[in-house]
Amino acid sequence: MEKQFSVVGKRLPMVDAAAKVNGSAQFTDDLTFPGMLHGKLLRSPHPHAKILNIDVSKALRLPGVKGVVTGAEIPDRQYGIVPKARDEYALAKGKVRYIGDEVAAVCAIDPEIAEEAVDLIEVDYEVLPAVFNVQDSIKEGAPVIHEGVANNTSFAIRKEFGDVEKAFAESALVSEDSFYSQPVNHAPMEPHAAVAQYDPVRGQVVLWSSTQIPFFLRRNLSATLMIPESKVRVIKPKVGGGFGQKIDMFAKDFCAAWFAMKLGRPVKFVYERDEVFIVTRQRHPMHLTVKTGMAKDGRILAQQFLSYADGGAYNSTAPTMMALSCFFLMVPYHVPNLLYEGYHVYTNKPVGGAMRGHGIPQARFAVERQLDLMADRLNLDPADVRTKNSIKAGEPHPGGFVINTCGFAESVQLAAEAIGWKEKRGKLPFGRGVGMGGASFPSGVTNMSHISSGAVVQVGQDGGVNVLTGAADIGQGAETVIAQIVAEVLGVSLDDVRVTAADTGTTPLDPGTFGSGVTVRAGNAARIAAESVRKKLFECVADELEANPDDLVARDGVIFVTGSPEINITFPKALKAYQYKDLPMPLVGRASWMADTNEPTTLFTQPGNFSPNYSFMTQAAEVEVDTQTGKVKVLKMVTAHDCGRPINPMLVEGQLEGSIAGGMGQALYEDVITEKGQVMNPSFLDYGFPTTMEVPEMESIDIETDDPVGPFGAKEAGEGTQLSPAPAIVNAIYDAIGVNFNELPVTPEKILKALEEKKKQGV
Amino acid sequence: MTVFYRRLPKFDYVSPKTLSEAWELMQGTKGIDYQVFAGGTDVIPKLKRRQGQIPKCLIDIKGIQELDYIRYDANAGLAIGALASVYAVAHSCLVSEHHPALASAAGKIAAPQIQHRATVAGNICNAAPSADTAPALLVLDATVRCASVSGERSIPLKDFFTGPLQTALSDGEIVKEILVPRSSAGPSSCYFKLSPRRTLDLAVVGVAAFIRANNGKCDEIRIGLGSVGRTPLRAFSAESTLQNAKITEESIELAAKTAAEECWPRDSIRGSAAYRRAMVRVLVARAIKQCLSGKPLGTLC
Repeated sequence: MEKQFSVVGKRLPMVDAAAKVNGSAQFTDDLTFPGMLHGKLLRSPHPHAKILNIDVSKALRLPGVKGVVTGAEIPDRQYGIVPKARDEYALAKGKVRYIGDEVAAVCAIDPEIAEEAVDLIEVDYEVLPAVFNVQDSIKEGAPVIHEGVANNTSFAIRKEFGDVEKAFAESALVSEDSFYSQPVNHAPMEPHAAVAQYDPVRGQVVLWSSTQIPFFLRRNLSATLMIPESKVRVIKPKVGGGFGQKIDMFAKDFCAAWFAMKLGRPVKFVYERDEVFIVTRQRHPMHLTVKTGMAKDGRILAQQFLSYADGGAYNSTAPTMMALSCFFLMVPYHVPNLLYEGYHVYTNKPVGGAMRGHGIPQARFAVERQLDLMADRLNLDPADVRTKNSIKAGEPHPGGFVINTCGFAESVQLAAEAIGWKEKRGKLPFGRGVGMGGASFPSGVTNMSHISSGAVVQVGQDGGVNVLTGAADIGQGAETVIAQIVAEVLGVSLDDVRVTAADTGTTPLDPGTFGSGVTVRAGNAARIAAESVRKKLFECVADELEANPDDLVARDGVIFVTGSPEINITFPKALKAYQYKDLPMPLVGRASWMADTNEPTTLFTQPGNFSPNYSFMTQAAEVEVDTQTGKVKVLKMVTAHDCGRPINPMLVEGQLEGSIAGGMGQALYEDVITEKGQVMNPSFLDYGFPTTMEVPEMESIDIETDDPVGPFGAKEAGEGTQLSPAPAIVNAIYDAIGVNFNELPVTPEKILKALEEKKKQGV
Repeated sequence: MTVFYRRLPKFDYVSPKTLSEAWELMQGTKGIDYQVFAGGTDVIPKLKRRQGQIPKCLIDIKGIQELDYIRYDANAGLAIGALASVYAVAHSCLVSEHHPALASAAGKIAAPQIQHRATVAGNICNAAPSADTAPALLVLDATVRCASVSGERSIPLKDFFTGPLQTALSDGEIVKEILVPRSSAGPSSCYFKLSPRRTLDLAVVGVAAFIRANNGKCDEIRIGLGSVGRTPLRAFSAESTLQNAKITEESIELAAKTAAEECWPRDSIRGSAAYRRAMVRVLVARAIKQCLSGKPLGTLC
């Protein structure tokens, strides 16, 4: 029997949509406090230099300035989101490693004075030789960016599954190709901001921050300020987008807290747009060489990867990023033999970090492009090659993944139909073409760092439901999804549910928004907490309804007996009955949830199930190339997507459509251009991500698979969709003009140059 | 770190309500720097970038209401007051009907919010090589009417741009209006802008064309180029190849090729010199054909 739901699976507006539209939603920069000060940061003008001396005396003398701090005064504690990769100081100690590195912070009575004071700080630098690309950085004798890190290589990973050499020998075709994926910026609409206030009585610092990870931020603040976690409270107001860029602690967080503690006054830092571009995070530029062995019929027999990620000046998420890049080469295709060798290399440039897809988009681009190349060489249809190689639910997986549900093959087929693959591929006039790319993504991680979420569901006398969750809604709708899950379990409407979230002082532990795990992890915690409330209520009303509690159903404000809806009691009456039985109010349920893990839970040494479940998708594009100007117009994009059962299809579509714009940016428009370490285009004018005017006709196809692990069968929908639009577009360009592009972005100039080359060769 | 956008520096700000008040203020501030501005969409970002010298005083002429107009007279032609916004010009039926190149160029500047604030006169006075309305006004043979306390004068637009961000305006002069003469050829002008995106971007190359043809012969032609030289340019050599010539694929191609050869593009993050040059060739040919087709491009009015 098909499951029926009243709230889950419905296209409901986000619970905070109205507040965002009418302007009453409070973002970090909207917060003001009496006596609040404003902070600004002095940043390095050099890509690599020793700090010999800092003279802050003139800045301190400027009227209105209340405090100045340099790296010399802060505790000698490095931070980073991955414990083994901590390499950053909130303010540089002795050395700067890229243009923009924080040297000192100022706070003053207004931002103008703070900015003026920053200019008055005098720093003596000894400029050091710098390196700006991976090739130079790993050379013997290259400048050392971090002491003790040989060849500037801060992380290396080598994994082998099966026997690659043997499989290559058995392959009908072995191709080796090199690819490059450029740095791109997340560019969230809301710049990074923080406000801190200190309570001297309780000895507690409260930080409101534009963050994706309140609890990790608390940990990093506690470590770097050297105060206990219990004395740090991090609150996440509304966040205007993150895409991974807000999963680190930044100087603004530390310095706001530092000044608040030292001065006893609230302090606010808001980054300017160019700071968001230069000193936060970007998607890692990555060089990848892929060698693939294929059977005559297109089956992948083996793949070998060599990747170099240009990490910029610090690690940020480096080990996780490299691991994701490696492991997720084993979905959505069955790769029986795989060898991955990857290096994270420091350079004197902006720092790479998590960004929607996190290390996988670069690898996916390489694989999806090469599949088309090899299909061509074997005279096979690239769509068929993808279907043929699809992993299947329930089959043993070479990496130890447990795939309970997989709609990948179906997604290829449906995306192909929707874009008109059979009629169009290879058959459109010169300049028009279609292409596709496939992908899969984890719904959070399991076998790493014991990540779990908690939830508390509380029902008051008036029937109002309050959910406490640590989940960090950054605009994707996490609070809405959690509210829908709780409303469905309790059989109440979405309006009855209020979510209190992401406050380390009041809400349960949650790792935050990353790895696309929120719906499955925090959603499951909320589901179980709500189920525990419902159980108490069912047990209370079972006698009255003369039924077994297990036979009761709660839906649409009524509790009834399965199969006999006429035997029922309304939710308010049930609550009243609960009170009249002298059972304690409020009704509370709580839960903590983490995915089953394989032991040992160390991603880097042992294979195992990476994630509670896996989403699958195919994106297909149709493009038109102006062969005189080289401009590409994306005419249509289709996404066929298996995210299990979507809790809110409208929010899922929002993710799919956003990912198309993001993928178009990566494929055609965006590039963080640096010259000798200086970012040249850190503005919305010069960094040309696609606008609504570029976005093509979009079609979303939902492939429902009822996943046994996800709440109500749900899987992730936020990040996976970002993996395949770029290769789909570049593959479509290949179909349109017969030119292979292995480097992103594919700009009009590159297209023209390639067409000229092609003409010259008389192809 | 190189400064891109900072908070505004300190300066005085005055807001005259009449031209004579403006002149008075300009004379009063003689000896110290002042900067006249209207929409401020170029002046304010420049100040935030600390580009050039910071003026001591900003004279905001937005309050001089008498300069806000778009007029058309069958004899005198089109007059665009100094305060006519880019949006108003882009959406004016008068402009679209008589000079489609100008309406289209104005409509391609930045985004609606900026178009409402920016003025066409300001776009010209900023004198950026990439100014979208400049190639259009060049091919429409526009003149700039300037006024100062000692009188008025007209400067042909082709003589107005003296260098990157430099104009022929003298100290104490304010642009009062831009005049576009009545065209004998009817609405046979157009503007093509090449940029990565359809909105917001500065032009990688901008090309405007005006043509009057009779029986397959070109009687009058003007070609304007943006973003391919120190100033917006007229492609005089290209024009002369087609002037009085028979219009054929070959002659159009020759004009396009000549335009590409006579411009002076440079390399920047927006595009290489070679690409820009090649695009001049493509767009000039397209623009000429567009003018000849007689088919109107979509208007915004």
